[in-house]
Amino acid sequence: MSEQKCFRCDKLLVDKKTAFLYLGRNFTHEVPCCPKCNKVYIPMSLAEGRIADVERELEDK
Amino acid sequence: MRKEDAAIFTEKCIKGAPAACMDACPLMLDIRAFTALAEKGKWNAAYRVLRNATVFPAIASILCPSACETSCGRKQLGDDAVAIRLIEGACVQLAKNQKPQAFALPQKTGQIAVIGAGLAGLAAALCLAQKKYLVTVFDKNSGWGGSLRPHPRFAEINADIELQFATSDVDFRYNEEIASLGDLAGYDMVYIATGAGGNDFGLLPSWDPKLLATSAHNVFMGGSLTGMDVAAKIAQGKLFSKISDSFIQTGRALAASDDIDIGDAIYPLQADTPRAARIEPSMLSGYSEAEAKEEAARCMKCDCDNCFEQCEMLVLYRKKPKSIALEVYADSQAEPPMSSHTLTRQVYSCNICGNCKVSCPVDIDIGALLQFSRETRYEESIYIGALHDYWLREMDFSTGEASFYAAPKSGKTCRYIFFPGCQLGAHNPEHVIRSYEFLQDMDETGFFAGCCGAPAYWAGDKERMRENFERIRNVWHELDCAEFVFACATCESLFSQFLPEIPHVPLYELMANSYAISPGNIYEFASVFDPCSAYGNAAMESSVRAIAVQSGATLYELPEKNRCCGNGGHIRVADPGLYNTITRNRASMGEAPYIVYCSNCLDVFLSQNKDSVHILDIALNLPHQTVRSKIHERHENAINVKRRLIGNMNGEEFVPTTNEWDAIELVMSSTLADSIEEKLISHGDIKEAIWRAEATGDKLVDGFGVFRCSLEREVLTYWTAYKVMESGAFEVLEAYSHRMRFIRES
Repeated sequence: MSEQKCFRCDKLLVDKKTAFLYLGRNFTHEVPCCPKCNKVYIPMSLAEGRIADVERELEDK
Repeated sequence: MRKEDAAIFTEKCIKGAPAACMDACPLMLDIRAFTALAEKGKWNAAYRVLRNATVFPAIASILCPSACETSCGRKQLGDDAVAIRLIEGACVQLAKNQKPQAFALPQKTGQIAVIGAGLAGLAAALCLAQKKYLVTVFDKNSGWGGSLRPHPRFAEINADIELQFATSDVDFRYNEEIASLGDLAGYDMVYIATGAGGNDFGLLPSWDPKLLATSAHNVFMGGSLTGMDVAAKIAQGKLFSKISDSFIQTGRALAASDDIDIGDAIYPLQADTPRAARIEPSMLSGYSEAEAKEEAARCMKCDCDNCFEQCEMLVLYRKKPKSIALEVYADSQAEPPMSSHTLTRQVYSCNICGNCKVSCPVDIDIGALLQFSRETRYEESIYIGALHDYWLREMDFSTGEASFYAAPKSGKTCRYIFFPGCQLGAHNPEHVIRSYEFLQDMDETGFFAGCCGAPAYWAGDKERMRENFERIRNVWHELDCAEFVFACATCESLFSQFLPEIPHVPLYELMANSYAISPGNIYEFASVFDPCSAYGNAAMESSVRAIAVQSGATLYELPEKNRCCGNGGHIRVADPGLYNTITRNRASMGEAPYIVYCSNCLDVFLSQNKDSVHILDIALNLPHQTVRSKIHERHENAINVKRRLIGNMNGEEFVPTTNEWDAIELVMSSTLADSIEEKLISHGDIKEAIWRAEATGDKLVDGFGVFRCSLEREVLTYWTAYKVMESGAFEVLEAYSHRMRFIRES
């Protein structure tokens, strides 16, 4: 997988702290974002890895 | 929620309650614990258990009348009871550390007189002395033992009494006969234990066996004088020491109420427990160590594990039914982050199949308890939307776009209303079309495509259920209040429970009784797999078998009926691992191919490559369905059923609602197709995501020309990676979802 670009802004994504919300709790995590329009990219490895783990932890609280 | 609202579901549970032998023992000796230690040769620990219960372990091992043996679980197998008294004898011989415990309690001021140094008086005196009361024992004889003094083994009895009193301070006054209770005026309490036929000071007629009290305010009584055997008189001594605490402090005797009554419940036998003959001692003096250990191992440690033995979910979470009830309540009170919900995963991992109730000797339904919890969580908005989102969206589709109803084409009054349920036509449209043709040939039959509300039920959404039932009731009235015909046991079960006014009959019963049906022979040998929701539905179970037999199949009954295939309760998202375990276990319950009558069961067994067929393929002579219908195919099938039936019945053309993304053509590998099916992602969501990305340019692109985009739904966010093909189709390379929502800065 080569580097991701925002199609509209034609900018390479950069890692940026992004806010997440689940079951009433807030977090921040660095994920690739467009430096111009802040479009976020959640790769499959993150969605089905760390994010899925945290989702499960929160659901079990 | 009040604590008792949850506790009432499991209040009769006997798991962990005293075994029948312990209940029969006046001393409540925990025989399960004692034999578990003895079996391992842990004699010192076993001795402590024995002494705590019996006060005088050696005496108990010599004289106990062994009431436990009358209630031994072994007898249910036809074996002799476990020889507890002989094991006790070996324990007394083998325990190296028998030194009595010295209790570091402050001295109490209460002074208590015990009349009689027989076993009853000694047991009371020792228990009182251990509580640090000032105890004086009077006996007219020159030493202790009372009626035991002539016993041939009095030397051992005497040694035990000496040993147990070694660390307790009791004032023994021998050769002092109490002629009148007035002689004991200075004592706070008096315990009369003068033995069989002894002096009762005229109080025996007023004796209360529960409180041991008499008509004289501070005078109590026990032992052989009151007709008790050895074990019971020691138990009275222990009881008297408890009563003394309340009497000394308040002047009133209060009964101890900490005993658990197991009532008439008998622990069910473990099916695979082998019989075992009682070990006979090789020595006159009793068991050798090896013999005692072997005999202790014969104890079955009776406890009720029936629900655990039947249920993968209960085994996985390892919580006792009463603990589950407590957590149902505790979770309703939890306030994160101060306190946590501890039961959530388990609540949504239950198939709610009712099998625990079937296997429970006292009919406890843990599924009903967890269903109650689901409904409470929904009401209190502490449910987790992602766990049931897929099925609730499916229900929206089944009760919306795919739903319709129609009166018989003739315009005559309805005799029946065919309600195939949401899954039958989705998995195989011919099942609905052909069954409906059969019903129309038989009598005036209306049609109603809808959903019984199972997804809302299992999500705990009572309001959505109520709305759905309201609509069903209205349609029923419009179609002449005719009898519903069900192909799905879940529909029939929920209607019976929530719409009892609507009469209903299983489709299979009408087929089994009809000459119009000539079932096709698919299997020579087969087993009918009854769905969990058909429990108690004898009409459905027997008519499916009748059709199968008419087809020429020889049926082998499975070892268990009405086990859930895994789909019940919609647990697949909450606990995918458990779901897979259950589906595998059910697929391997029987070696012969399965005949099923639930579309979900069929889907589960096809996913496990278990040779299975729907009874309608047999009844209607249809090709044997061997391939699962995928999510998007199920939607298309449901719409096709509607299109065909509306066309047939009304001559109208049904035009489904279309979206701009419907025309998008997706291409993907079979591996990816299986993967998105596993993740419960529909083609519709992928198409919409791609269409929006292409329409707005709101997408990512990499150096290989692969685009990535996301679609936020109410509960989940879907992602897909795709390439645009020369043909204009879209090659899907990835599809996944997450529940957490990210906040895109503006």
